[in-house]
Amino acid sequence: MAYILDGLKHGLAILLPPNREILQIVILSLAVSGGATFLAALAAIPAALVLALKEFRGKRFLVGAINTALSVPAVLIGLLVYGLVNRRGPLGLLALLFTPGAMVMAQALLAFPLITALALAALKGIARDARDLALSLGANRLQLALAVIRQGRFAFLTALIAGFSRVIGETGMTLMVGGNIKGQTRVLTTAISLETMKGNFEIGIALGIVLLLAALVINIALQWAQGK
Amino acid sequence: MMDIRAEKLKQVAGDRAILDGISLEFAAGAVNVILGPNGAGKSTLLRLLCLLDRPAQGEIFYDGLALRAMRRGERTALRRRIGFVFQAPLLLAGSVEDNLLYGPRLRGMDVSGLAIRNVLQTTGLEGREAQEARQLSGGEKQRLQLARVMLLDPELYLLDEPTANLDPLSVKNIEIAITRLAHSGKTVILATHNLIQARLLAGKVIFLKAGKLVQAGSASDVLSRPLSLDIAEFSAAENIVAGTLVRRNGRTMLDCGKLAIELVSEQEQGAAAAVIRPEDILVSQGPVSSSARNSFPGSIMAAVDLGLVVSLRVDCDGVMFTVFVTRHSCEQMGLRPGAEVLLTFKATSVHLLASG
Repeated sequence: MAYILDGLKHGLAILLPPNREILQIVILSLAVSGGATFLAALAAIPAALVLALKEFRGKRFLVGAINTALSVPAVLIGLLVYGLVNRRGPLGLLALLFTPGAMVMAQALLAFPLITALALAALKGIARDARDLALSLGANRLQLALAVIRQGRFAFLTALIAGFSRVIGETGMTLMVGGNIKGQTRVLTTAISLETMKGNFEIGIALGIVLLLAALVINIALQWAQGK
Repeated sequence: MMDIRAEKLKQVAGDRAILDGISLEFAAGAVNVILGPNGAGKSTLLRLLCLLDRPAQGEIFYDGLALRAMRRGERTALRRRIGFVFQAPLLLAGSVEDNLLYGPRLRGMDVSGLAIRNVLQTTGLEGREAQEARQLSGGEKQRLQLARVMLLDPELYLLDEPTANLDPLSVKNIEIAITRLAHSGKTVILATHNLIQARLLAGKVIFLKAGKLVQAGSASDVLSRPLSLDIAEFSAAENIVAGTLVRRNGRTMLDCGKLAIELVSEQEQGAAAAVIRPEDILVSQGPVSSSARNSFPGSIMAAVDLGLVVSLRVDCDGVMFTVFVTRHSCEQMGLRPGAEVLLTFKATSVHLLASG
């Protein structure tokens, strides 16, 4: 027990003030996961809107596919992205392997089905009513889309929080395609895992605290935005 | 005033047909009431007419223009000539005024404070501009929906059970507003399963059942001379008698066991049912000299005081009739349970229903 408390004490000491390396890790983590969530949302939110509002052939299959994608293990997505971006893969020329670019790609693929499914589930109850009301009062296509997005904004925020939380905590997949290269692709989760395995328990704890704080701050910020 | 006609309109949900190829014409500048039991397809029809959903098959013509031939912009323009009042009020979070101004904002339309006060007054919501819309009572929400639509002054009003679950005063207010709309030349199409409302408001009644058109015509035609047992039962016609049609001495009779009722009919045999309206039956204590072909003795089983009139249940050899007499006659003739009376009605007052 003393050993854990000791780790905690040392961890806090490392953070106050944090050194340059830790700052770099934190910033890269937020940038990679934030970017991945943003990219995933760019595709996921229009997809959820279309699935909630439109009736078309193959819609049920598509919803089924997205729900299935929710249970694909992250490590398989890592495998897929590795295959795509390694030198012999179809995207090999871009030289993305072991760069933040590959990490963003993998995390975005992981977040996409989650954000789509959550936004769709929340939209189901409100999208049709918002659509009916706007259309019946004479909305054109653009006004209709804006009206539904406006009604669904809390649903989207909740889906984004869930997506971000999922990817910032992802370790194995991020390690596979990022490589945990010091100063280049090392993020909070890969650093924690590495440092702990090396026996640097207190550094692991320090970074763990940062990870928790980051998740906490973002959730509070989004919840504050929802309240507005 | 908008002219609307539907042709072979079909709508499906999965494999099930909700509207099964109905063709009908609505009366322009009048109240059209769509009647029918739950699941008849009333709401589905209104949603199609408002362009909220697309029909699986068939065509709708607005002032002679086919819906399918319209481009997106034309459909939006058409929708802006239509107002829809939803069965379950759809209101935005915000004040009464926010809700009223949503339509004008979407249409880029200027509305004066006077126009707003006018619609609030018409719907009995004057002075409520600042109130939170979602905190209104059910009746007020429904009236706010109507006010929101009236502010846009559409040519066509589509109302989906606008008075369902409302208190009598709210119902009356909305009914008055609807009557005024038709008087000012608006075409109103209203779905309801309230029969009294249909009689009160309708210029034209359209009766649907299970996605099919059963009968359409003037309110008095459809409700007083129903052509089908479905409508008769739905409209709670008091006297529905069933039996077999037979020819006797050159007359057509409906044989109901001990009783044979004479009627006028093209159909001459087979199982049949008929309706006789209570107000077409004369109640007397002895034979009356009349050209009426049907006269049956019976005894009063029950009397229900309805105010000005008394409704009597009379048993004529096992066939139960409901008849109305004024309270005055009732007292004068001493009509009470147990009393013997004679029921008389014309052969032409017996309306044969289409079988099936």
